[in-house]
Amino acid sequence: MPISAEHVGRRYPAAPPYVVSRAKIAEFAAALLDDNAAYRGDHPVAPPTFAAVIAAQAWSALFDDDELGLALNRTMHTDQTFTFHRPLRPGDHVVAELSIEKVRARGSLDMITVLVDLTVDGEAVCEARSTLMHTRED
Amino acid sequence: MSHVSVGQQLPEVRVRVTRSTVVRYSGASTDFNEIHFSDRHARAIGLPGVVAHGMWTMGAGLRVVTDWVGDPARVVSYFVRFTRPVVVPDTDEGTEVVYTGSVTAVADGIATVALTATCGDDAVLGAARVEVRVD
Repeated sequence: MPISAEHVGRRYPAAPPYVVSRAKIAEFAAALLDDNAAYRGDHPVAPPTFAAVIAAQAWSALFDDDELGLALNRTMHTDQTFTFHRPLRPGDHVVAELSIEKVRARGSLDMITVLVDLTVDGEAVCEARSTLMHTRED
Repeated sequence: MSHVSVGQQLPEVRVRVTRSTVVRYSGASTDFNEIHFSDRHARAIGLPGVVAHGMWTMGAGLRVVTDWVGDPARVVSYFVRFTRPVVVPDTDEGTEVVYTGSVTAVADGIATVALTATCGDDAVLGAARVEVRVD
């Protein structure tokens, strides 16, 4: 049975926490070609979009849910929103919980909005909301 | 930042992206989708060749705002639509993405910045906007 509006509201158990490291922050800032001083030094913060690295790992719950019939290679990421409450820092143990927020069918396409709530010690640090366009298999 | 006003143009940011940049982002982000390093896989889904990650294009563009305000912790929200891929040729020059920003609203100490991202003739991000604390 393919994904449908019935699945809206489904939440998945979080994977073990992702631990932010200074090395990963430096690597990520370098890949963005961003030399902002905030990403270096004794008390670095992660570039805001680093949250996507953790959020995208939470997406695997969606693709591992056989009931939805989703395949990564038939999925396009069409839009992305982040709401930031505070920057991620080295040592943060980030818990990412994914839920299905919206499903709209358009012909053989499903537009799926997923929300990943990122928390550290129960404190909300970021919400990452993504729309995924999935092509159903014929 | 006392002098922020609607209509203000932020300094343009030009970012050169080569295959090395894309490989580096694959490792940093742990997104190892083959379309970001293999022309064969990219062509199999109708792309002309290897493309940059949409999330790279989004992340690199935030510099328009963070270079302007200095502290990235001031960013409150960021939205983009991925409209066209950034195709990255296998050359020393790669390609270039040009980002611009303009202030469209200021209220309660938060400025809304509309971003554009262009690669060649293509707008690669759509409706992009950042909310940032400027108080």
